[in-house]
Amino acid sequence: MIYFLLDLAVLGTVTAIMMVGLDLQYGTTGMIDFTYYSFVAIGAYMTAVTTMGHPPAGFNAGPLAEQYILQWSLPWPIGILIGGFTAAALGLIVVLVTVRRLRSDYLAIVTIAVGYIVYTIANNVIPLFDGANGLFDVPQIAQMPTEPYATLLTGISLVALAACVFVSYRIVHSPAGRVLRTIREDIIVARTFGKNVQLAQVVIFVISSFMAGIAGGLLIVYVGAWSPLAFTPTESFLLIAALVIGGTGNYWGAILGAFVILEGLAEFTRLLPQSIAATAAGPLRAMLIGAGLILFLRFRPQGILPETLLKFYPRRAAMPSSEPPVGVIPGDSPGDSPGAAPSAKS
Amino acid sequence: MFASTLLEGIGFGLVAAAVIALGAVGLSLQLSVTNYINFAFGDLMSLGAYFVITFNLGLHMNFYLAALLGAVALGIVFVVMNIFVLRPFVRSGARVFTLLVVTIGVSFIVQNGTLLIWGPGAYQYTVNVGDAMHIGPFVLTPGDLIIIVIAFALLLGLQLFLQFTKLGKALRATSNNVDLAMASGINTDLVVNVTWAISGIFAAVAGVALAVEQNNLRPLQGFNQLLVIFAAIILGGIGRQMGALLGALVIGIATAVTGLFLPSGYDFLVGFVILILVLLLRPQGILAGREVVD
Repeated sequence: MIYFLLDLAVLGTVTAIMMVGLDLQYGTTGMIDFTYYSFVAIGAYMTAVTTMGHPPAGFNAGPLAEQYILQWSLPWPIGILIGGFTAAALGLIVVLVTVRRLRSDYLAIVTIAVGYIVYTIANNVIPLFDGANGLFDVPQIAQMPTEPYATLLTGISLVALAACVFVSYRIVHSPAGRVLRTIREDIIVARTFGKNVQLAQVVIFVISSFMAGIAGGLLIVYVGAWSPLAFTPTESFLLIAALVIGGTGNYWGAILGAFVILEGLAEFTRLLPQSIAATAAGPLRAMLIGAGLILFLRFRPQGILPETLLKFYPRRAAMPSSEPPVGVIPGDSPGDSPGAAPSAKS
Repeated sequence: MFASTLLEGIGFGLVAAAVIALGAVGLSLQLSVTNYINFAFGDLMSLGAYFVITFNLGLHMNFYLAALLGAVALGIVFVVMNIFVLRPFVRSGARVFTLLVVTIGVSFIVQNGTLLIWGPGAYQYTVNVGDAMHIGPFVLTPGDLIIIVIAFALLLGLQLFLQFTKLGKALRATSNNVDLAMASGINTDLVVNVTWAISGIFAAVAGVALAVEQNNLRPLQGFNQLLVIFAAIILGGIGRQMGALLGALVIGIATAVTGLFLPSGYDFLVGFVILILVLLLRPQGILAGREVVD
């Protein structure tokens, strides 16, 4: 039971990091990324190959031997950071391809295509990340039994989550954050006011891809293995659904979605009778989330925990902004953003 | 030797293109009228194919009768989905962005529902596709030929319907400008429902043709095909039926021909690489469509 809770704590916290990043691009900026989980996967793979060192000689030698690039033995924090930066670099490429188009569905389609390309390469190019077999025996960051290790990783993940929430908070609660919400509500209005929409989209996409990469790195040092089966397109859809149900545009909704909708529901289905759980639990859970997604969008589009910015606006308008701009969007001046008229309809 | 292999590849590509075109035209027609993408289209294609499995294997119907009934059933499913799921969102003024996510929810439900009902196994229709034979330079089975003929007939029928019937004209008018169509006295609700029904019929035929082309029906088959269909639509320019057809031809033949030289597993990537190149170099598609900004 203790292990059950610790497992939930680690997975939930790591998922929450992904969700805070996803919320920046989906909930705040209104960009649809249907392959967000591929960035998690890139982070996990890169963390593994930069920290695992050489595959043990003689062990599983021959055709079964693990093959992967780099084979570095860096300390784990650097490995996780490399994972984050690699994911951010991939994110930069993806967003640069799509950002020239205004239609939000173009980004959605291209992200799916990119997801398939990443998946197919990881699955087929064996020297890269050991192909379909995937990487296994990724070393723990400290040699200790399961339960203390889960506790340790919960702590580390909570620190990372706090850092991500801080970054997200500083962006969302700045004049640049107002620009992002304007892009979400009406991209034409944002352009009309002379905001550099494309730069904002690129920066946000790269930041949230970085967060996904970090989450992937933490995930792989906990679970110790990773294969292409771990990042099907469904995973990204589930993250978006959980975010919508939890509440978009604020990290509490993202965190609630991570713990309750994704990890909580997954752990709960384990309690079902074995006969049902073996075949029907996964599809039933996905159907439940799909139905929840539609019902929430229809009857409570702001999610369980709504975006709370609205009530601060009258006060903000009355007094000069005390908060310096974060400087994400050059050319943005405080106070003139039309984002002050939000309707949480996304 | 090389040339004959190439021609064989083009032959396979024509079949693949016919299958893609059925889906691409069905999805593109609905997209041009409602102006939002139906991300559940691939899973609904599979649902139609599974309907036909039940009619064909469960109720022992003739394959072609089963396919006809399956197409009608899926057309009804599309209309019901529009009335009860999507139309309320459109009426409440939801944006393209929201509708996109709604159709993802539908995709979840349909995909996992079919998995629950029909299970993870593969199915085969009781239809004999015949032995491969040489037709000119191509090597095709009679089943392949039937797919091409049916696709051609359906696309031609749709084109005639759009050009020469009153309803078809109303549909084109609605696609062009909903408000103007409504002001001209067109019952746009009816037109949208008809569009969904046509889209559903094409989806079912596309799903069945895909299962016949790949010799069996598996879960996620339609979902994976969806991306190829998107590639074809974007390639041809969003909202153009002829463009979708042309895009399907390019993607189908390019995939089949490169599939001869690439190791297996990579072949269907070609479509996505083409898609990304088109977005980079000619984002309005091969046939330039009208600019639609949401």
